[in-house]
Amino acid sequence: MTFSGEFFASMVLALVAIIGGVLLLNLNKVVHMVVALIFTFVSIAGIYILLSAEFVAAVQVLIYSGAVTIIMLFGIMLTKPYDESEEPTGKWRKIILAIGIVGFAFAVYLGIYNFDIPQVQTVLHENNTMQIGKAIYSKFIIPFEFVSVLLLVALIGAIVLAKREDKEGEKE
Amino acid sequence: MIQNMLESSPGWFNFIIFFILGVILLFIVLGFVTYSILAERKVMGFMQLRIGPNQVGGRWGLLQTVADVLKLLLKEDIIPKLADKPLFILAPIIAFAPSFMVLATIPFTDKFQFADLGVGLLYYVAVSGMTVFGVLLGGWASNNKYSLLGGARATAQMISYEIPLVMSVLGVILLSGSLNLNKIVEAQAHGWFILLQPIGFIIFIIASTAELSRTPFDLPESESELVAGYHTEYTGFRWAFFMLAEYVYLFAMSALITVLFLGGWMSPFKFLNFIPGSVWFALKFCFVVFIYIWFRVTFPRMRADKLMEFAWKVLLPIALANIFLTALIKSLFFGA
Repeated sequence: MTFSGEFFASMVLALVAIIGGVLLLNLNKVVHMVVALIFTFVSIAGIYILLSAEFVAAVQVLIYSGAVTIIMLFGIMLTKPYDESEEPTGKWRKIILAIGIVGFAFAVYLGIYNFDIPQVQTVLHENNTMQIGKAIYSKFIIPFEFVSVLLLVALIGAIVLAKREDKEGEKE
Repeated sequence: MIQNMLESSPGWFNFIIFFILGVILLFIVLGFVTYSILAERKVMGFMQLRIGPNQVGGRWGLLQTVADVLKLLLKEDIIPKLADKPLFILAPIIAFAPSFMVLATIPFTDKFQFADLGVGLLYYVAVSGMTVFGVLLGGWASNNKYSLLGGARATAQMISYEIPLVMSVLGVILLSGSLNLNKIVEAQAHGWFILLQPIGFIIFIIASTAELSRTPFDLPESESELVAGYHTEYTGFRWAFFMLAEYVYLFAMSALITVLFLGGWMSPFKFLNFIPGSVWFALKFCFVVFIYIWFRVTFPRMRADKLMEFAWKVLLPIALANIFLTALIKSLFFGA
Protein backbone atom coordinates (compact mmCIF):
# COMPACT_ATOMS: atom_id res chain seq x y z
CA MET A 1 0.00 0.00 0.00
CA THR A 2 1.37 3.37 -0.97
CA PHE A 3 1.37 6.02 1.69
CA SER A 4 0.20 9.12 -0.14
CA GLY A 5 -0.97 12.48 1.07
CA GLU A 6 -4.46 11.69 -0.10
CA PHE A 7 -4.53 8.49 1.94
CA PHE A 8 -3.28 10.34 5.00
CA ALA A 9 -5.86 13.12 4.61
CA SER A 10 -8.72 10.72 4.08
CA MET A 11 -7.64 8.69 7.15
CA VAL A 12 -7.56 11.82 9.33
CA LEU A 13 -10.90 13.07 8.03
CA ALA A 14 -12.54 9.68 8.46
CA LEU A 15 -11.20 9.40 12.00
CA VAL A 16 -12.49 12.85 12.92
CA ALA A 17 -15.88 12.02 11.40
CA ILE A 18 -16.14 8.76 13.33
CA ILE A 19 -14.88 10.24 16.59
CA GLY A 20 -17.36 13.08 16.19
CA GLY A 21 -20.13 10.55 15.69
CA VAL A 22 -19.11 8.51 18.74
CA LEU A 23 -18.85 11.63 20.89
CA LEU A 24 -22.25 12.73 19.64
CA LEU A 25 -23.69 9.58 21.19
CA ASN A 26 -21.62 9.55 24.36
CA LEU A 27 -21.42 13.14 25.57
CA ASN A 28 -23.75 14.22 28.33
CA LYS A 29 -24.64 17.81 27.52
CA VAL A 30 -26.78 18.40 24.47
CA VAL A 31 -24.80 21.41 23.27
CA HIS A 32 -21.57 19.38 23.37
CA MET A 33 -23.25 16.78 21.17
CA VAL A 34 -24.03 19.41 18.58
CA VAL A 35 -20.38 20.53 18.58
CA ALA A 36 -19.35 16.92 17.94
CA LEU A 37 -21.87 16.85 15.10
CA ILE A 38 -20.27 19.94 13.55
CA PHE A 39 -16.90 18.18 13.49
CA THR A 40 -18.50 15.19 11.76
CA PHE A 41 -20.19 17.34 9.14
CA VAL A 42 -17.06 19.37 8.40
CA SER A 43 -14.86 16.31 8.02
CA ILE A 44 -17.42 14.74 5.70
CA ALA A 45 -17.14 17.92 3.62
CA GLY A 46 -13.36 17.34 3.61
CA ILE A 47 -13.92 13.83 2.25
CA TYR A 48 -16.07 15.28 -0.54
CA ILE A 49 -13.17 17.58 -1.45
CA LEU A 50 -10.85 14.56 -1.66
CA LEU A 51 -13.35 13.04 -4.09
CA SER A 52 -13.12 16.28 -6.15
CA ALA A 53 -16.74 17.15 -5.45
CA GLU A 54 -15.97 20.70 -4.39
CA PHE A 55 -19.47 22.06 -4.98
CA VAL A 56 -21.04 19.37 -2.81
CA ALA A 57 -18.40 20.02 -0.13
CA ALA A 58 -19.13 23.75 -0.01
CA VAL A 59 -22.86 23.11 0.11
CA GLN A 60 -22.35 20.50 2.85
CA VAL A 61 -20.58 23.09 4.99
CA LEU A 62 -23.11 25.79 4.12
CA ILE A 63 -26.29 23.79 4.71
CA TYR A 64 -25.43 21.04 7.18
CA SER A 65 -22.68 22.55 9.32
CA GLY A 66 -24.12 26.02 8.90
CA ALA A 67 -27.88 26.19 8.81
CA VAL A 68 -29.05 22.82 10.14
CA THR A 69 -26.80 22.77 13.20
CA ILE A 70 -27.59 26.38 14.05
CA ILE A 71 -31.29 25.57 14.01
CA MET A 72 -30.65 22.58 16.27
CA LEU A 73 -28.61 24.72 18.65
CA PHE A 74 -31.37 27.32 18.77
CA GLY A 75 -33.94 24.64 19.46
CA ILE A 76 -31.84 23.25 22.30
CA MET A 77 -31.10 26.64 23.83
CA LEU A 78 -34.69 27.78 23.74
CA THR A 79 -35.92 24.67 25.55
CA LYS A 80 -33.76 23.47 28.44
CA PRO A 81 -30.21 24.77 28.20
CA TYR A 82 -28.64 22.73 30.98
CA ASP A 83 -30.50 19.48 30.55
CA GLU A 84 -28.28 16.43 30.90
CA SER A 85 -29.34 13.21 29.29
CA GLU A 86 -29.85 10.22 31.57
CA GLU A 87 -27.97 6.96 31.37
CA PRO A 88 -30.26 4.20 30.08
CA THR A 89 -30.14 1.17 32.36
CA GLY A 90 -30.44 -2.59 31.84
CA LYS A 91 -27.74 -5.20 31.35
CA TRP A 92 -29.66 -7.32 28.89
CA ARG A 93 -30.37 -4.35 26.74
CA LYS A 94 -26.66 -3.63 26.44
CA ILE A 95 -25.85 -7.23 25.50
CA ILE A 96 -28.54 -7.35 22.84
CA LEU A 97 -27.31 -4.02 21.53
CA ALA A 98 -23.73 -5.30 21.31
CA ILE A 99 -24.89 -8.40 19.40
CA GLY A 100 -26.85 -6.17 17.07
CA ILE A 101 -23.85 -3.93 16.40
CA VAL A 102 -21.52 -6.87 15.73
CA GLY A 103 -24.10 -8.48 13.45
CA PHE A 104 -24.58 -5.26 11.52
CA ALA A 105 -20.84 -4.72 11.17
CA PHE A 106 -20.44 -8.29 9.92
CA ALA A 107 -23.27 -7.88 7.40
CA VAL A 108 -21.83 -4.62 6.10
CA TYR A 109 -18.37 -6.19 5.90
CA LEU A 110 -19.75 -9.11 3.86
CA GLY A 111 -21.63 -6.68 1.68
CA ILE A 112 -18.78 -4.34 0.79
CA TYR A 113 -15.73 -6.62 0.97
CA ASN A 114 -16.06 -7.88 -2.58
CA PHE A 115 -18.24 -5.10 -3.86
CA ASP A 116 -17.11 -4.36 -7.35
CA ILE A 117 -17.24 -0.73 -8.38
CA PRO A 118 -16.33 -0.47 -12.05
CA GLN A 119 -13.75 2.23 -12.60
CA VAL A 120 -15.07 4.63 -15.22
CA GLN A 121 -13.09 7.51 -16.61
CA THR A 122 -15.04 10.65 -15.80
CA VAL A 123 -14.49 14.35 -16.18
CA LEU A 124 -16.65 15.19 -13.18
CA HIS A 125 -13.91 17.15 -11.45
CA GLU A 126 -13.71 19.70 -14.27
CA ASN A 127 -16.28 22.47 -14.00
CA ASN A 128 -18.03 20.57 -11.28
CA THR A 129 -20.61 23.26 -10.60
CA MET A 130 -21.53 23.79 -14.21
CA GLN A 131 -22.05 20.07 -14.78
CA ILE A 132 -24.31 19.81 -11.73
CA GLY A 133 -26.31 22.80 -12.94
CA LYS A 134 -26.71 21.37 -16.43
CA ALA A 135 -27.78 17.98 -15.10
CA ILE A 136 -30.33 19.50 -12.73
CA TYR A 137 -31.89 21.80 -15.29
CA SER A 138 -32.02 19.35 -18.18
CA LYS A 139 -32.07 15.71 -17.11
CA PHE A 140 -33.50 15.99 -13.60
CA ILE A 141 -35.77 19.00 -13.99
CA ILE A 142 -38.96 17.28 -12.81
CA PRO A 143 -37.53 15.84 -9.55
CA PHE A 144 -35.93 19.24 -8.95
CA GLU A 145 -39.28 21.00 -9.33
CA PHE A 146 -40.91 18.45 -7.05
CA VAL A 147 -38.32 19.09 -4.37
CA SER A 148 -38.88 22.84 -4.59
CA VAL A 149 -42.64 22.36 -4.25
CA LEU A 150 -42.03 20.10 -1.25
CA LEU A 151 -39.85 22.75 0.39
CA LEU A 152 -42.46 25.40 -0.33
CA VAL A 153 -45.12 23.24 1.34
CA ALA A 154 -42.85 22.80 4.38
CA LEU A 155 -42.27 26.55 4.52
CA ILE A 156 -45.98 27.37 4.39
CA GLY A 157 -46.68 24.65 6.96
CA ALA A 158 -44.14 26.19 9.32
CA ILE A 159 -45.74 29.63 8.89
CA VAL A 160 -49.21 28.19 9.58
CA LEU A 161 -47.99 26.43 12.72
CA ALA A 162 -46.25 29.55 14.02
CA LYS A 163 -49.31 31.72 13.34
CA ARG A 164 -51.68 29.41 15.25
CA GLU A 165 -49.52 29.52 18.36
CA ASP A 166 -49.50 33.30 18.19
CA LYS A 167 -53.31 33.52 18.21
CA GLU A 168 -53.64 31.21 21.20
CA GLY A 169 -51.16 33.38 23.04
CA GLU A 170 -53.27 36.47 22.42
CA LYS A 171 -56.43 34.84 23.83
CA GLU A 172 -54.89 33.99 27.16
CA MET B 1 4.09 28.71 -8.16
CA ILE B 2 1.53 27.43 -5.72
CA GLN B 3 -0.49 25.82 -8.50
CA ASN B 4 2.59 23.80 -9.50
CA MET B 5 3.22 22.79 -5.91
CA LEU B 6 -0.40 21.78 -5.36
CA GLU B 7 -0.11 19.43 -8.32
CA SER B 8 3.26 17.96 -7.35
CA SER B 9 3.49 14.91 -5.14
CA PRO B 10 3.09 15.65 -1.44
CA GLY B 11 6.08 15.62 0.86
CA TRP B 12 7.60 17.28 3.87
CA PHE B 13 9.28 19.92 1.70
CA ASN B 14 5.95 21.09 0.28
CA PHE B 15 4.38 21.00 3.68
CA ILE B 16 7.08 23.24 5.13
CA ILE B 17 6.81 25.73 2.27
CA PHE B 18 3.04 25.91 2.63
CA PHE B 19 3.41 26.30 6.36
CA ILE B 20 5.89 29.16 5.99
CA LEU B 21 3.69 30.91 3.41
CA GLY B 22 0.71 30.54 5.71
CA VAL B 23 2.64 32.01 8.61
CA ILE B 24 3.77 34.94 6.46
CA LEU B 25 0.16 35.62 5.47
CA LEU B 26 -0.84 35.40 9.10
CA PHE B 27 1.70 38.05 10.03
CA ILE B 28 0.61 40.30 7.15
CA VAL B 29 -2.96 39.98 8.38
CA LEU B 30 -1.93 40.66 11.97
CA GLY B 31 -0.12 43.78 10.79
CA PHE B 32 -3.23 44.86 8.95
CA VAL B 33 -5.38 44.26 12.03
CA THR B 34 -3.03 46.28 14.22
CA TYR B 35 -3.01 49.28 11.93
CA SER B 36 -6.65 49.06 10.86
CA ILE B 37 -7.64 49.41 14.52
CA LEU B 38 -5.39 52.46 14.78
CA ALA B 39 -6.75 53.84 11.49
CA GLU B 40 -10.27 53.26 12.70
CA ARG B 41 -9.63 55.14 15.93
CA LYS B 42 -7.84 57.97 14.12
CA VAL B 43 -10.49 58.37 11.41
CA MET B 44 -13.26 58.19 13.97
CA GLY B 45 -11.43 60.77 16.04
CA PHE B 46 -11.05 63.19 13.15
CA MET B 47 -14.66 62.72 12.06
CA GLN B 48 -15.84 63.46 15.58
CA LEU B 49 -13.51 66.45 15.94
CA ARG B 50 -11.22 64.64 18.39
CA ILE B 51 -7.57 63.78 18.00
CA GLY B 52 -7.53 60.05 18.70
CA PRO B 53 -4.51 58.15 20.01
CA ASN B 54 -1.48 60.46 20.01
CA GLN B 55 0.68 59.44 22.98
CA VAL B 56 2.27 56.03 22.39
CA GLY B 57 4.64 55.90 19.43
CA GLY B 58 4.88 59.48 18.31
CA ARG B 59 2.36 62.05 17.21
CA TRP B 60 0.25 59.55 15.23
CA GLY B 61 0.05 56.97 18.01
CA LEU B 62 1.71 54.38 15.81
CA LEU B 63 2.43 51.98 18.68
CA GLN B 64 -0.90 52.39 20.46
CA THR B 65 -2.43 49.11 19.22
CA VAL B 66 0.80 47.23 19.80
CA ALA B 67 0.72 48.37 23.39
CA ASP B 68 -2.95 47.39 23.67
CA VAL B 69 -2.24 43.91 22.35
CA LEU B 70 0.68 43.48 24.75
CA LYS B 71 -1.57 44.51 27.61
CA LEU B 72 -4.15 41.93 26.52
CA LEU B 73 -1.56 39.17 26.38
CA LEU B 74 -0.25 39.99 29.85
CA LYS B 75 -3.72 40.05 31.37
CA GLU B 76 -4.82 37.34 33.77
CA ASP B 77 -6.72 34.58 32.01
CA ILE B 78 -10.06 34.25 33.76
CA ILE B 79 -12.50 31.42 33.20
CA PRO B 80 -15.72 31.87 35.21
CA LYS B 81 -16.35 29.10 37.72
CA LEU B 82 -19.76 28.14 36.38
CA ALA B 83 -18.77 28.42 32.72
CA ASP B 84 -18.72 25.38 30.52
CA LYS B 85 -14.95 25.05 30.47
CA PRO B 86 -14.19 23.02 27.29
CA LEU B 87 -16.57 25.04 25.16
CA PHE B 88 -15.40 28.29 26.72
CA ILE B 89 -11.88 27.47 25.55
CA LEU B 90 -12.94 26.10 22.18
CA ALA B 91 -15.28 28.94 21.17
CA PRO B 92 -12.69 31.66 20.36
CA ILE B 93 -10.77 29.16 18.23
CA ILE B 94 -13.89 28.14 16.31
CA ALA B 95 -14.62 31.82 15.78
CA PHE B 96 -11.12 32.70 14.56
CA ALA B 97 -10.09 29.71 12.41
CA PRO B 98 -12.67 30.19 9.60
CA SER B 99 -11.86 33.89 9.34
CA PHE B 100 -8.29 33.01 8.39
CA MET B 101 -9.33 30.06 6.22
CA VAL B 102 -11.41 32.23 3.89
CA LEU B 103 -8.31 34.25 2.95
CA ALA B 104 -6.92 31.22 1.12
CA THR B 105 -9.13 31.67 -1.91
CA ILE B 106 -8.95 35.44 -2.38
CA PRO B 107 -6.84 36.50 -5.39
CA PHE B 108 -4.79 39.48 -4.26
CA THR B 109 -3.13 39.82 -7.67
CA ASP B 110 -3.11 37.55 -10.69
CA LYS B 111 -0.16 35.65 -9.24
CA PHE B 112 -0.52 36.04 -5.49
CA GLN B 113 -3.26 33.64 -4.51
CA PHE B 114 -3.17 30.54 -2.37
CA ALA B 115 -5.92 28.33 -3.75
CA ASP B 116 -7.61 28.90 -7.09
CA LEU B 117 -10.86 27.14 -6.21
CA GLY B 118 -13.58 26.50 -8.76
CA VAL B 119 -16.19 27.37 -6.15
CA GLY B 120 -14.21 30.19 -4.52
CA LEU B 121 -17.16 32.45 -3.78
CA LEU B 122 -19.25 29.63 -2.35
CA TYR B 123 -16.27 28.52 -0.25
CA TYR B 124 -16.02 32.00 1.23
CA VAL B 125 -19.71 32.11 2.15
CA ALA B 126 -19.77 28.57 3.52
CA VAL B 127 -16.64 28.82 5.66
CA SER B 128 -17.40 32.30 6.98
CA GLY B 129 -20.73 30.92 8.20
CA MET B 130 -18.83 28.70 10.64
CA THR B 131 -17.80 31.68 12.77
CA VAL B 132 -21.37 31.94 14.00
CA PHE B 133 -20.79 28.79 16.03
CA GLY B 134 -17.86 30.31 17.85
CA VAL B 135 -19.96 33.32 18.77
CA LEU B 136 -23.03 31.32 19.78
CA LEU B 137 -21.06 28.71 21.73
CA GLY B 138 -18.99 31.41 23.42
CA GLY B 139 -22.16 33.14 24.51
CA TRP B 140 -23.67 29.88 25.73
CA ALA B 141 -20.56 28.61 27.51
CA SER B 142 -20.16 31.87 29.44
CA ASN B 143 -23.27 30.93 31.42
CA ASN B 144 -24.37 34.54 31.53
CA LYS B 145 -27.73 35.77 30.30
CA TYR B 146 -26.31 38.80 28.53
CA SER B 147 -23.77 36.65 26.73
CA LEU B 148 -26.42 34.14 25.69
CA LEU B 149 -28.64 36.95 24.44
CA GLY B 150 -25.73 38.47 22.55
CA GLY B 151 -24.81 35.11 21.05
CA ALA B 152 -28.39 34.41 20.00
CA ARG B 153 -28.70 37.87 18.48
CA ALA B 154 -25.45 37.48 16.60
CA THR B 155 -26.57 34.14 15.21
CA ALA B 156 -29.99 35.35 14.14
CA GLN B 157 -28.44 38.40 12.52
CA MET B 158 -25.65 36.59 10.69
CA ILE B 159 -27.93 33.83 9.41
CA SER B 160 -30.55 36.33 8.22
CA TYR B 161 -28.13 38.65 6.48
CA GLU B 162 -26.23 35.81 4.86
CA ILE B 163 -29.23 35.24 2.56
CA PRO B 164 -29.38 38.74 0.99
CA LEU B 165 -25.57 38.68 0.88
CA VAL B 166 -25.56 35.54 -1.27
CA MET B 167 -28.54 36.67 -3.33
CA SER B 168 -26.88 40.00 -4.15
CA VAL B 169 -23.77 38.35 -5.59
CA LEU B 170 -25.87 36.03 -7.77
CA GLY B 171 -26.08 38.92 -10.24
CA VAL B 172 -22.28 39.03 -10.43
CA ILE B 173 -22.18 35.25 -10.89
CA LEU B 174 -24.75 35.47 -13.69
CA LEU B 175 -22.77 38.12 -15.55
CA SER B 176 -19.37 36.49 -15.14
CA GLY B 177 -20.66 32.93 -15.50
CA SER B 178 -18.40 31.53 -12.82
CA LEU B 179 -17.98 31.06 -9.09
CA ASN B 180 -14.21 31.26 -9.47
CA LEU B 181 -12.90 34.56 -8.08
CA ASN B 182 -10.15 34.78 -10.73
CA LYS B 183 -12.66 34.47 -13.54
CA ILE B 184 -14.90 37.03 -11.87
CA VAL B 185 -12.01 39.51 -11.87
CA GLU B 186 -11.18 38.71 -15.50
CA ALA B 187 -14.81 39.25 -16.49
CA GLN B 188 -14.48 42.84 -15.29
CA ALA B 189 -11.88 43.78 -17.88
CA HIS B 190 -14.44 45.89 -19.79
CA GLY B 191 -16.28 47.37 -16.84
CA TRP B 192 -16.41 46.86 -13.13
CA PHE B 193 -19.41 45.11 -11.71
CA ILE B 194 -20.17 48.09 -9.50
CA LEU B 195 -21.30 49.81 -12.71
CA LEU B 196 -23.24 46.84 -14.04
CA GLN B 197 -24.62 45.78 -10.65
CA PRO B 198 -25.21 48.95 -8.63
CA ILE B 199 -28.21 47.49 -6.76
CA GLY B 200 -26.32 44.29 -6.01
CA PHE B 201 -23.37 46.31 -4.73
CA ILE B 202 -25.50 48.38 -2.35
CA ILE B 203 -27.24 45.29 -0.96
CA PHE B 204 -23.92 43.51 -0.64
CA ILE B 205 -22.27 46.32 1.28
CA ILE B 206 -25.25 46.63 3.68
CA ALA B 207 -25.48 42.88 4.25
CA SER B 208 -21.70 42.58 4.67
CA THR B 209 -21.71 45.32 7.31
CA ALA B 210 -24.29 43.23 9.14
CA GLU B 211 -22.20 40.08 8.67
CA LEU B 212 -19.22 41.88 10.16
CA SER B 213 -21.56 43.06 12.96
CA ARG B 214 -20.25 46.60 12.77
CA THR B 215 -22.30 49.69 13.47
CA PRO B 216 -25.16 50.21 12.48
CA PHE B 217 -25.58 46.44 12.89
CA ASP B 218 -23.55 45.90 16.05
CA LEU B 219 -26.49 44.67 18.12
CA PRO B 220 -24.77 41.42 19.16
CA GLU B 221 -22.25 43.41 21.20
CA SER B 222 -24.20 46.55 21.96
CA GLU B 223 -22.51 47.68 25.14
CA SER B 224 -25.42 49.78 26.38
CA GLU B 225 -27.93 46.91 26.43
CA LEU B 226 -25.93 43.70 26.59
CA VAL B 227 -22.67 44.70 28.26
CA ALA B 228 -20.68 43.69 25.16
CA GLY B 229 -22.83 40.66 24.35
CA TYR B 230 -21.27 37.28 23.71
CA HIS B 231 -17.79 38.19 24.95
CA THR B 232 -18.78 39.73 28.28
CA GLU B 233 -17.02 36.99 30.25
CA TYR B 234 -13.97 36.83 28.02
CA THR B 235 -10.74 38.56 28.80
CA GLY B 236 -7.09 38.52 27.82
CA PHE B 237 -6.04 36.62 24.73
CA ARG B 238 -9.35 34.74 24.42
CA TRP B 239 -11.13 38.04 24.02
CA ALA B 240 -8.38 39.13 21.66
CA PHE B 241 -9.20 36.13 19.49
CA PHE B 242 -12.80 37.29 19.06
CA MET B 243 -11.63 40.80 18.20
CA LEU B 244 -9.01 39.39 15.85
CA ALA B 245 -11.66 37.31 14.06
CA GLU B 246 -13.76 40.43 13.60
CA TYR B 247 -10.94 42.42 12.05
CA VAL B 248 -9.68 39.55 9.90
CA TYR B 249 -13.22 39.38 8.52
CA LEU B 250 -13.00 43.10 7.82
CA PHE B 251 -9.84 42.33 5.84
CA ALA B 252 -11.45 39.40 4.03
CA MET B 253 -14.71 41.19 3.30
CA SER B 254 -12.96 44.29 1.95
CA ALA B 255 -10.79 42.09 -0.25
CA LEU B 256 -13.89 40.23 -1.44
CA ILE B 257 -15.71 43.45 -2.33
CA THR B 258 -12.63 44.63 -4.22
CA VAL B 259 -12.59 41.37 -6.15
CA LEU B 260 -16.31 41.15 -6.82
CA PHE B 261 -17.27 44.73 -7.60
CA LEU B 262 -14.16 46.88 -8.03
CA GLY B 263 -12.24 44.84 -10.55
CA GLY B 264 -9.68 43.26 -8.22
CA TRP B 265 -6.10 43.94 -9.28
CA MET B 266 -7.03 45.50 -12.63
CA SER B 267 -6.39 49.14 -13.39
CA PRO B 268 -9.44 51.28 -14.20
CA PHE B 269 -8.03 52.66 -17.45
CA LYS B 270 -5.76 51.12 -20.05
CA PHE B 271 -3.13 53.88 -19.91
CA LEU B 272 -2.62 53.25 -16.20
CA ASN B 273 -1.57 49.64 -16.78
CA PHE B 274 2.08 50.41 -15.88
CA ILE B 275 1.14 50.57 -12.18
CA PRO B 276 1.38 47.01 -10.78
CA GLY B 277 -1.76 45.11 -9.86
CA SER B 278 -0.90 44.86 -6.20
CA VAL B 279 -0.93 48.67 -5.90
CA TRP B 280 -4.36 48.86 -7.48
CA PHE B 281 -5.62 46.13 -5.22
CA ALA B 282 -4.24 47.88 -2.15
CA LEU B 283 -5.76 51.23 -3.14
CA LYS B 284 -9.23 49.80 -3.74
CA PHE B 285 -8.95 47.69 -0.63
CA CYS B 286 -8.06 50.68 1.56
CA PHE B 287 -10.96 52.61 0.07
CA VAL B 288 -13.41 49.86 1.05
CA VAL B 289 -11.98 49.70 4.57
CA PHE B 290 -12.36 53.46 4.82
CA ILE B 291 -16.03 53.16 3.76
CA TYR B 292 -16.63 50.68 6.57
CA ILE B 293 -15.02 53.01 9.11
CA TRP B 294 -17.04 55.89 7.71
CA PHE B 295 -20.25 53.86 8.16
CA ARG B 296 -19.33 53.17 11.73
CA VAL B 297 -18.91 56.85 12.57
CA THR B 298 -21.96 58.02 10.68
CA PHE B 299 -24.84 55.71 11.52
CA PRO B 300 -26.62 55.10 14.83
CA ARG B 301 -27.38 51.53 15.88
CA MET B 302 -30.49 49.88 14.48
CA ARG B 303 -33.34 48.73 16.69
CA ALA B 304 -33.45 44.98 17.26
CA ASP B 305 -36.97 44.50 15.90
CA LYS B 306 -36.29 46.59 12.80
CA LEU B 307 -33.17 44.56 12.08
CA MET B 308 -34.86 41.31 11.03
CA GLU B 309 -37.62 43.12 9.17
CA PHE B 310 -35.02 45.02 7.17
CA ALA B 311 -33.24 41.84 6.11
CA TRP B 312 -36.30 39.81 5.18
CA LYS B 313 -38.75 42.43 3.95
CA VAL B 314 -36.46 44.97 2.28
CA LEU B 315 -33.09 43.51 1.31
CA LEU B 316 -34.21 40.04 0.23
CA PRO B 317 -37.02 41.15 -2.15
CA ILE B 318 -34.76 43.78 -3.72
CA ALA B 319 -31.99 41.21 -4.13
CA LEU B 320 -34.39 38.77 -5.79
CA ALA B 321 -35.66 41.50 -8.12
CA ASN B 322 -32.03 42.31 -8.93
CA ILE B 323 -31.39 38.69 -9.96
CA PHE B 324 -34.45 38.78 -12.23
CA LEU B 325 -33.37 42.08 -13.76
CA THR B 326 -29.83 40.84 -14.30
CA ALA B 327 -31.04 37.67 -16.00
CA LEU B 328 -33.25 39.80 -18.25
CA ILE B 329 -30.40 42.17 -19.13
CA LYS B 330 -28.03 39.33 -19.76
CA SER B 331 -30.35 37.51 -22.14
CA LEU B 332 -31.33 40.73 -23.95
CA PHE B 333 -27.98 42.47 -24.36
CA PHE B 334 -25.16 40.06 -23.66
CA GLY B 335 -26.63 37.16 -25.62
CA ALA B 336 -26.87 33.88 -23.74
